[in-house]
Amino acid sequence: MMKFDVVIIGGGLAGMTAATELQKSGVRCAVVSEGLSLHNPSTREFKAAGGTLLNGDSVTGGEFEEGRLASVRTAKLGDVTLEAETFILATGKYFSKGIVADMDRVYEPLFGLDVQYDSDRSTWFDPSFAAPQRFLEFGVEVRDGKAVKDGEVIRNLYPIGEVVYGISSAQGDTTGQIRQSALDAVQAIRRI
Amino acid sequence: MPITNDFDVIIIGGGITGAGTARDCAMRGLKVLLIERHDIATGATGRNHGLLHSGARYAVKDSESAEECIRENKILRSIASNCIEDTGGLFITLPEDEESGYGLDYQKKFLEACNKAGIESRAISPSEARQMEPSVNPSLIGAVVVPDGSVDPFRLCAANVTDAALHGAKILVYTEFLDFIRQNDTILGVKVLDTRTGQTAEYRAPVTVNAAGIWGHGVAEKAGVHIGMYPAKGALLVFGHRVNNVVINRCRKSADGDILVPGDSVTVIGTTSTKVPFEECDHMEVTPDEVRLLLREGCALCPALASTRILRAYAGVRPLVADDSDPTGRSISRGIVCLDHETRDGVKGFVSITGGKLMTYRLMAELATDAVCRKLGVKQACTTADTPLPGSLDGRIETVSKRFEGKVSLGQKSAAGRQGDLVGKILFETEADKQLVCECENVTLAEIKYAVRELGVRNLQDLRRRTRVGMGTCQGTLCIRKAAKALAEALGDPSAADKLAADYLDERWKGMRAVGWGDTLREMEFMQRVYKFEKPYSYDEV
Repeated sequence: MMKFDVVIIGGGLAGMTAATELQKSGVRCAVVSEGLSLHNPSTREFKAAGGTLLNGDSVTGGEFEEGRLASVRTAKLGDVTLEAETFILATGKYFSKGIVADMDRVYEPLFGLDVQYDSDRSTWFDPSFAAPQRFLEFGVEVRDGKAVKDGEVIRNLYPIGEVVYGISSAQGDTTGQIRQSALDAVQAIRRI
Repeated sequence: MPITNDFDVIIIGGGITGAGTARDCAMRGLKVLLIERHDIATGATGRNHGLLHSGARYAVKDSESAEECIRENKILRSIASNCIEDTGGLFITLPEDEESGYGLDYQKKFLEACNKAGIESRAISPSEARQMEPSVNPSLIGAVVVPDGSVDPFRLCAANVTDAALHGAKILVYTEFLDFIRQNDTILGVKVLDTRTGQTAEYRAPVTVNAAGIWGHGVAEKAGVHIGMYPAKGALLVFGHRVNNVVINRCRKSADGDILVPGDSVTVIGTTSTKVPFEECDHMEVTPDEVRLLLREGCALCPALASTRILRAYAGVRPLVADDSDPTGRSISRGIVCLDHETRDGVKGFVSITGGKLMTYRLMAELATDAVCRKLGVKQACTTADTPLPGSLDGRIETVSKRFEGKVSLGQKSAAGRQGDLVGKILFETEADKQLVCECENVTLAEIKYAVRELGVRNLQDLRRRTRVGMGTCQGTLCIRKAAKALAEALGDPSAADKLAADYLDERWKGMRAVGWGDTLREMEFMQRVYKFEKPYSYDEV
């Protein structure tokens, strides 16, 4: 078992923004990143501030107890779990498999979090490629900044960035929106 | 103002049947006009498996179609070598087929019927079948080898059009048939609309041939004659890579989704067969139920399909001639229907050629041309079965590649595969000409210039049908701006690039929407991200 204050799942723009901000203010963070992170300056800053970057690893699932996420497992750490007071989910949307769609449903693959989507597939796409596309909105439900599973709020799990319903960088330049969702989570966590 | 031209024959429809008929008529010395409202091969011609049938599929139930198929199969191998890949085919028997009465007893009957129809076929053991095609369902209990292959219908159609033009035919694409010019009971010609300029025109000829596929129903109605056509929609799925190298069929009564065909860089599963209203023929959408069915049946042939990305879905409409007794359309013979409307309906100067299939297009063209020649009193015999098409005069890539100086690049090699012996017309004048525009299909700038110069390409969809631009794994995601820019410049209008790209993306989007989940949806998100970031289609800023 390894213990941190905050474990951030996903090393993209959202994940690294939150991790760096938290680490710099003295919160002990670990980022689990599949290694596709293009935010080198951001990882450098994070590591310089003493953060732990588990690069090339991926979270495979987690243990919930009493309305909170207690620990997560990763592909490489095997039996060694990562524990934290707080978790941040920044796994992105379809491309990075933070959200997965199959023929019958849209789901969040790591924890089975509640996802907001339209079960009527005919509404997903606009025939015009250039028009806004409904499927790009789908993402995990967020209540008071926190994730929801089976209708219950998970009180220490904060989804940020594109995994969240309504945020998609494929709809235009949403860098600001993504950073803001990260900073909102940072602020909420600092208040704890 | 209407322009008057004189032709011996006017052919309506630039699908494979019309193209073949134009070629045959032109080779027999007739003055030919071919009109097509879109581009060539935009209807059922470009919306099928691309299967070079051995005829085995029809052997048990319809020996006439089977014999036609294998005859034409052999002819196409010799006259259209550049459009054909000799993959071979398997008809497999699965354990569950025993229960439904299509077990190994049926296989015996099937083999007998094949041999009777002249289709070279032999039974092999399951382990031999797995060796021949490793992706085949390993639980198979029997297999028969048949001379199936794959055919590129776009290339085949283009080769026929090119040859017709070389023999003097006038080809008008984006020219829509509006109505007949008629005097009493005689068809004198056609009124047409140039869909790009909005101008109308009239053309006259003693004979008009209706080769408009399923749309031929409407064309005939305009002449006041009725052909009881049966629009049978067939849906297909394209997979992200070439999963199999041998055509895999199911050895049982023809059913949905029981043929898996490898073609170029992809694999295609199909088809379904549902009657659709005529109004829908212009707007085919593949339904979720059709996709489910195709996937289920496809996985029975080749289990790897379950984990292979689907590139897109598409559907065509078979121009079957109705036999009202069967609602599914499967028991209708795929036989050729050639109608002389003078003897049938008392309308002079009008012939319809319909029914049939891609495989028998040449024979259909021959029958239609025979009918035209009878009307015109022309006695020339048909030579299309012995005369190779342009591009297929020398089919071997090694020979064709010798036309290039120095080291042959990947793009040149691929171009040789696509354009055959016409590849010498692709001019690699500058270093830029050798640059790949489409990296999935290895299409060079030079090949795009050639397609504009010689193959009548006007937009990216036309270009795709001639060169396979954007047909590969990325579906244009990574190349379409490059291709749009290259095409716009070759067309002499660089400002058209954005519009060309936008139209192309809408067309690709349509095929992807039908299979929008899993890895296809990931690709769709990526495609949106690539093209929508900041201002959409602002080409100059990239």
